[in-house]
Amino acid sequence: MTRRADDPSDEQLMTNLDGPGVEAALSKLYDRYSRTVFGVGLRILGDRSMAEELVQEVFLKVWRSAGTFDSARGSFSTWLYRVTRSVALDLYRKRARRVRPVSDGDPYLGSARDPSAGPQEVVDKSWLSWRVSRALEVLDAPHREVIDLAYFGGLSQREISERTGVPLGTVKTRTASAYKSLRRELVVQDSSREAIR
Amino acid sequence: MKFAEVHPNLAIFVLGGLEAEEAAEIRHHLDSCPDCQSELEELEKVNRALEAAPPPAASPAYLKGEILSRVRAEQLPPSNKVVAADGSSPLEEHRRSHRTSRFNRFKELRIVLPSVAAAALVAVIALGVFFGSLREETPVATIQLIPTPQEAVGLKGYWGVAEIRPQPSGNQQVELKLNNFEERKPNSYYELWFVSGEKRISAGSFTSVGQGETRVLLNVPPEASNYQTLLITEERVGKGPAPGREVALEGGMP
Repeated sequence: MTRRADDPSDEQLMTNLDGPGVEAALSKLYDRYSRTVFGVGLRILGDRSMAEELVQEVFLKVWRSAGTFDSARGSFSTWLYRVTRSVALDLYRKRARRVRPVSDGDPYLGSARDPSAGPQEVVDKSWLSWRVSRALEVLDAPHREVIDLAYFGGLSQREISERTGVPLGTVKTRTASAYKSLRRELVVQDSSREAIR
Repeated sequence: MKFAEVHPNLAIFVLGGLEAEEAAEIRHHLDSCPDCQSELEELEKVNRALEAAPPPAASPAYLKGEILSRVRAEQLPPSNKVVAADGSSPLEEHRRSHRTSRFNRFKELRIVLPSVAAAALVAVIALGVFFGSLREETPVATIQLIPTPQEAVGLKGYWGVAEIRPQPSGNQQVELKLNNFEERKPNSYYELWFVSGEKRISAGSFTSVGQGETRVLLNVPPEASNYQTLLITEERVGKGPAPGREVALEGGMP
């Protein structure tokens, strides 16, 4: 999700969680991060309904624990990742005590999680998943679309052009530009690995 | 193929998105171009990172409304909050312990939504008592009402909140705020119950016509404060005073 220059920062929104603007602030944070929390939840938990529960619990925890967030110690994204990881681990362990199918028929979920991996191993891998998701969120809709269709959809550039009605040259330009942006974002995020433990 | 033609296409090459002929030309160029080889290595790192990307899926649209409604329900005025030694309110702790089980039930309800619902109007009938002048009083309890799986009809954002306010008479006023509550079936109505074990007290009956917010004011006797569970059941006209078994929403006293 691209952000306008006058949009409040994540950190500013966090300060609004303890006041009359709580719903607007939490709503905005949800819009920015729910897709990442949900997607990472799908990878960790491999179950759509549990990923939904994860989203719900994470954002309620963001609201309740807003006072523990200190922007001097790291970015909101990194803090939110830690919250997500903690809640996901709890859900993972809770699920281990129940009998549940790994996936509910979603074609993306069958390979989303290695069932042989232990909880810590699965969760440790989630940091890369989180970083890539955030990098993808930085792309605007047209660039995100070509990556989704090319990487996740397995379409060739010509097929993307035919499907979207965008000229082939533009599709190629967007793909190259999107990769460049992803590379830049991943480098930026890699240098901000602060305090993820 | 020259450098200027190859370089912009390397990302697409890494993605496997080029036609076979174009890909072969790029491979040929790469054999003799260190700059493009170096660029390719960088792009392959992005490609490997993408393997860890979450699937492109968004959470259900209703989830945000659910979260915000829970935040709203938990925002009790400071006068009603007793802060524990660890800084958390016992009320919040209690709700927290109930929340997961309630959500476990709620998450089973993701059923296809009806496409159209009627405009909202409420007809409060029979036992409901309206105490409009007292509505601005602060509720002593706010209870989340969650659909039960058996009766779930899959309406989007199907949930409710009950706010309880004491009355000078000793009775308790219950204000129901129902969201997208199912339109009643013919010859039926809804009834709110306070339940403790096998015992029940009726707070009155009402009807709703579906999408949007429905507000209902009901009244219960003082002893209802000892009943810990709230149920909204669907009742059939003329079936007698015994409570129905079809529970639409339920919630626990904080």
